[in-house]
Amino acid sequence: MADKSRPSTLTVYLYVPNIIGYIRIILNCFAFAICFKDKYLFSVLYFISFACDALDGWFARKLNQVSTFGAVLDMVTDRISTACLLVILSQVYRPGFIFLSLLALDIASHWLQMYSSFLVGKTSHKDVKDSSSWLFRAYYANRKFMGYCCVSCEVLYIILFLLAKKQTENLTDVLVNAAMQSWIYLTLLALILFGWTIKQSVNLIQIKTAADACILYDINKKQKD
Amino acid sequence: MADKSRPSTLTVYLYVPNIIGYIRIILNCFAFAICFKNKYLFSVLYFISFACDALDGWFARKLNQVSTFGAVLDMVTDRISTACLLVILSQVYRPGFVFLSLLAIDIASHWLQMYSSFLVGKTSHKDVKDSSNWLFRAYYGNRKFMGYCCVSCEVLYIILFLLATKQTENLTDVLVNAAMQSWIYSTLFALILFGWTIKQSVNLIQIKTAADACILYDINKKQKD
Repeated sequence: MADKSRPSTLTVYLYVPNIIGYIRIILNCFAFAICFKDKYLFSVLYFISFACDALDGWFARKLNQVSTFGAVLDMVTDRISTACLLVILSQVYRPGFIFLSLLALDIASHWLQMYSSFLVGKTSHKDVKDSSSWLFRAYYANRKFMGYCCVSCEVLYIILFLLAKKQTENLTDVLVNAAMQSWIYLTLLALILFGWTIKQSVNLIQIKTAADACILYDINKKQKD
Repeated sequence: MADKSRPSTLTVYLYVPNIIGYIRIILNCFAFAICFKNKYLFSVLYFISFACDALDGWFARKLNQVSTFGAVLDMVTDRISTACLLVILSQVYRPGFVFLSLLAIDIASHWLQMYSSFLVGKTSHKDVKDSSNWLFRAYYGNRKFMGYCCVSCEVLYIILFLLATKQTENLTDVLVNAAMQSWIYSTLFALILFGWTIKQSVNLIQIKTAADACILYDINKKQKD
């Protein structure tokens, strides 16, 4: 059998898509450090980092540098950047308990889904094929629809951050004012809110489905004994 | 072969330790809802919830109601309650970037550790026996020491929350003032800060160790082919 070249861990740490991952992290750190000083620069940096998320996957496949570490790096960076965005929103719309709830929902749904996927034997939480919920299947079956929902959430959060002028804002005031500007704004906001609603609904369903999967795993394990 | 009783998912959802888990969640929701209105009640409720964390494990073993779902429920509740505590701290010590960073480290270290544990085949991130790092082995080898470090973090965060009297506080001022009250406070504070430092150091090491494990998993998988 031919001797395969055995990459060291350093080689994988220096894969191009993983370096893009590190750049994403540095961009995010810098963005959040200056987020209260320059909101627009923060938003631009945040979206560049968001765009890099798609870029590193493309590079990984093109350069044959797909790695488990890269996938995890991606997941963790996504979770942390969304969490930090929700934290600064809770500061601006103080006390912002709705953003605390969204943070809890984000952590719970992704954590449970990943855990149950491992128990069942899948490696990505996006590999959901056999779920009984129609919304679930519709969401995961259509990558473009999924993308629209995920992007809507991030766009909504950034918009809410940009719209807040005073140190402490009221969320309903800001939303209503923005919608009343013109029918174009109203339509865009409605589209974004729709995508956001779908994503959060899927998060909620995911919690139940994943919890069921954990229980079924125990039952199946007992039956094998 | 005797017919084993097959529990439905509802049976497991109603296990006593899992009900304690739901009570923990309700306590936390209520606690955070009133945290700015009544700091002391919040602290008491938070610690009752923290104590229930030990209680549900005890009940699970005593009543033979150990479940994977229960373990995940525990993990997720811990992650969310720590995250929310760090969020309200970032509001009180606005902009509180140190708390954002601690949130990022908490998410990253626990996520990576769980992911890599699954890849290697363990089900709890506390089952770390074969790490080469001395601090790691010392930390995970001694459950009481581990408990002291974890409790120190929660106690530190609650103390920081209780000590802040104004709407927006400066973190160093608060820490220095508290320490200078008396030598008893200084000693207690030093003990708590020491435990907290160990925990955060372990979190950082965990990120590196788990990342290495992800890479080694890919290497081993390739070699098997």
